[in-house]
Amino acid sequence: MQIKQIKEKVFSNQRLNREEGLWLLQNGSLLDLAEMAEHRRYFHNLAPKVTFVIDSNPNYTNICNIDCIFCAFYRHEGDADAYTYTVDEMIERFKKAEARGVRTVLLQGGVNPALPLEYYTEMIRRTRAEVPKIHPHFFSTSEIIGMANVSGLSVPAVLEKLKEAGLNSIPGGGAEVLSDKVKKKISSKKGTSEDWLSVMREAHKLGYKTTSTMMYGHLESDEDIVEHLDITRALQDEYHGFTAFIPWSFKPGNTPLEKIIHTYASSTRYLQMIAFARIYLDNFPHIQASWFSEGKKTGQMALHFGADDFGGTLEEENVHASANFVHTTTIKEMVDLIRDAGFTPVERDTLYHTYGEFAEGEYPASILNSERLHQSVDASIIMPTIPLVALGNG
Amino acid sequence: MLSSKELSFRDPGLMPIWNKVRNGIRLSKEDGLVLYSTHDLIGLGRMANEVSRAKSGDTVYFVLNQKFEPTNICVLSCKFCDFAVKKGSPEAYEQSIEEMLDILNPDIREVHITMGLHPDWEWQHYVDMVRRIKEAYPLIDVKAFTAVEIVFFAKKFKKTHEEVLSELKAVGLRTMPGGGAEVFSERVRKLIFNQKIGAKTWFEVHRKAHKLGIQSNVTMLYGHVETFEERIEHMIKLREVQDETGGFMTFIPLAFQPGDTGIKTKNNFTSAIDDLKTIAISRLMLDNIAHIKAYWVMLTAEVAAVALNFGADDMDGIVGHERIAHDAGATSPMQLAKEKIISIIHEAGKVPIERDVWYNPLHIYPAEGTSIVSKMPYLNSVPFYSNFEPELAEIKLSPLVPRVFGQFAKEGKVDAGPMSLMDYVASQDEFEMLDYGVAVSGKAYSVLLYSHHDWKHLSGKTIGLTAESSTSVELLRVLLEKKYGVTGVTFERLHLTSGQNDYTKFDAVLLIGDEALRRWKVGLASFLNVYDLAEEWYEWKKMPFVFAVWAVRNSIPAAHKEAIRNALEGSITRSKGHYDELGREHAKRLGLTREDLAMYLNAFTYRLGEQERSAMEEFLKEQAVLA
Ligand code: SF4
Ligand code: SF4
Repeated sequence: MQIKQIKEKVFSNQRLNREEGLWLLQNGSLLDLAEMAEHRRYFHNLAPKVTFVIDSNPNYTNICNIDCIFCAFYRHEGDADAYTYTVDEMIERFKKAEARGVRTVLLQGGVNPALPLEYYTEMIRRTRAEVPKIHPHFFSTSEIIGMANVSGLSVPAVLEKLKEAGLNSIPGGGAEVLSDKVKKKISSKKGTSEDWLSVMREAHKLGYKTTSTMMYGHLESDEDIVEHLDITRALQDEYHGFTAFIPWSFKPGNTPLEKIIHTYASSTRYLQMIAFARIYLDNFPHIQASWFSEGKKTGQMALHFGADDFGGTLEEENVHASANFVHTTTIKEMVDLIRDAGFTPVERDTLYHTYGEFAEGEYPASILNSERLHQSVDASIIMPTIPLVALGNG
Repeated sequence: MLSSKELSFRDPGLMPIWNKVRNGIRLSKEDGLVLYSTHDLIGLGRMANEVSRAKSGDTVYFVLNQKFEPTNICVLSCKFCDFAVKKGSPEAYEQSIEEMLDILNPDIREVHITMGLHPDWEWQHYVDMVRRIKEAYPLIDVKAFTAVEIVFFAKKFKKTHEEVLSELKAVGLRTMPGGGAEVFSERVRKLIFNQKIGAKTWFEVHRKAHKLGIQSNVTMLYGHVETFEERIEHMIKLREVQDETGGFMTFIPLAFQPGDTGIKTKNNFTSAIDDLKTIAISRLMLDNIAHIKAYWVMLTAEVAAVALNFGADDMDGIVGHERIAHDAGATSPMQLAKEKIISIIHEAGKVPIERDVWYNPLHIYPAEGTSIVSKMPYLNSVPFYSNFEPELAEIKLSPLVPRVFGQFAKEGKVDAGPMSLMDYVASQDEFEMLDYGVAVSGKAYSVLLYSHHDWKHLSGKTIGLTAESSTSVELLRVLLEKKYGVTGVTFERLHLTSGQNDYTKFDAVLLIGDEALRRWKVGLASFLNVYDLAEEWYEWKKMPFVFAVWAVRNSIPAAHKEAIRNALEGSITRSKGHYDELGREHAKRLGLTREDLAMYLNAFTYRLGEQERSAMEEFLKEQAVLA
């Protein structure tokens, strides 16, 4: 096989098969990948625009019985720092976030068997009713399976109930790498790839929009990565329910897996993943760059390697923070990062409806109207800044 | 021609520039500005990466170095500097020479010293600093004092710049860092660097250093108040001086960090896109500078890693004390472990080489599953590499002189390449020979003995020997003893870096490769006799001489061998008939014309046949008797 043949296929908008994908991932140079990824990117999204969402990423509980060895976030019932918030408490937080201009709440938590299905439906219903400006983007597949177990209902039935309560999009976390070989090693109690996929499939069938994620840089091989993308692509062909694909690298800090994997993959690997995903996932409208999980400068670079979305402002985030991996930004800085990378920033919601573009020197009105920011546009609206732990930590 | 690669671009405006670059035509200021304004970052990177590959193969260099800033007390207060303080300030510190020595260890190969301009220190203190480090650690090379400091010493101690430099050289100063260059623009200097020396003085100092055999680096501080035009002009000025002196080794773009300096920039850091563009554009503009450094301390590790595919071939290294950058809020860790650097280079698809201060390789760290091909950095090997495009990404190229290739091959680290005949003979069990090599019937022009005496009178004399190859040395011995019956000669190895050699102390000197070619027309010092060893052999035996044979390690995967053979065959076939274009850039550096070049390359045979094989046997027979 040769790079020439693969390029010809990509430039004539043809799909790569698994074998070609694997060859490309292993033999394509970074810039070959980038060149092809840009072709696909501008095919889907012709304008040099990059979207972002003003969102918050809180957690309602950190109690979890799944014990994934890559996770620094979970606690067990009875641990001193275990917590579960009531729906009231969460609604209060959402209200505060709404007042600060947040459009979307990406809500996830551990798989806590003490919580009944009604806890979740009430959370959705009250969010819709009491915090109408916020779009609920709630609950990963593991939690939904957990709800099915607790309630005795099937997954589709749970999804119906959540939908009735007002949910229409769910986050794509928990996929890690969709390879049972890998899953057995890093998350033996989390279920199989098919579990993740079938929740997604049922959700898409019911009209939900979801994202799809991948966490790499631990025990997976290149073959596993191609398999992950291949399965995702096949599911997308069925219902076109995925809005975006979001890869990120495993952060070993404070996780049991840290003993084996000491450090996280370099920015080169991340850009390779972004570009490769863009090339292989020819039926995905968006590839999301995560400034948060990889660093602001890496996020900027990713926009030239096939990504067309800059993710969220993550007003609150605890999962990466637990692994001592923290980057913070302000909305203003985020808009500037996009523009300095050579693109027009466009605000969007979870479903990728756009609200408006920002010309040089313009920023989302919501932050300017909020009280806090009247004092200074530069002020961080992010959670208190945790001292930046050196890159290469661990 | 520099590259036969056909690139295509999203921005069609890049095509004319690529056509210039691949044909070895220098880029103009306008070209540079087009490059800064393009939205096609990837296209820009592809060009720069090709240029870097032509120069350094897939290699990325790093060095184990220790940085010292022995004092932050400074008589100046440059606007952008939040490192310096005044004497008596609570943050002021002074590090003694003993303290510096305590920090060093024998693994370190380069010491980098820059500091504030101290109001009281004596001249002797600076001289001792260099001398005592060299005495305690002879293997450590000292890279010290920016032009700003040299000028300060000259003024303070009433010496000329030459005196300052030669006194430092005498105690072991080898190279100079490139700091203090900032941006070569009077407008910018007046705005924020008004206390510093201007471009004119900066270049004067470096010119003088180069003349004395002290090579240096050069930086560019960007991302403050300068314009793109001023950045390009900076590069062009530098390129012009380099044409004159050839003394600059590395260009280092430094991303400005405002920190507490009070200088306003939009964000507190440059954009990653600006960083990558600046690396790539400098690689394209600076056709006469060997290396571009992605200095991760200022650039962040995330950008430096990607810069390795945008034209940078040096990552600096393991850095100790980095106060100047870190006081201004750089977020890189103080010490990226060597393993981390190696893994970053591997993930970039490149080959890490640990180097000394002159870029001589000390160790190579191939990634698992890769096969390393040695890229002979000589003009006569251009036909092997000008179109060398292996189909497999696992095949990597690294520029190694024959002797270093031989050494790394023996260590099991390098797997293929044109091996010096003697090295091949020594490692025949592990390598198989391909039907390619470097042979010549008659003059080779690049294996020359410069001598004060004719052959017969070399008995009892001392000959300085190239450190780059062993075959030419054996050929010399065979000629001396067997052809001319001369014995009792003392041999002494020269330094790998030519500028470090004093040829006058020898009765004769054997030079090979580019070092010999450079002297082809100008001769060497006062040596009157010049003998071409290949010609000597030919006249004696009426046989070609085989300097190198292509060899491939037996144990690498068959698919790799196949890919290497195909790439090599492809390159030799496509190069034939284009010799005058192919080596143009290379020849320019050696002061050769197009005609010289064509004549030179046409003298060699690159495919080995029966004749060459029997010539090899004949030589080995003669050589065996000697031992
Ligand atoms: S990753 Fe999710 S499911 Fe796994 S242990 Fe952490 S919280 Fe639980
Ligand atoms: S930049 Fe150098 S000369 Fe200027 S104040 Fe700082 S230490 Fe002194």
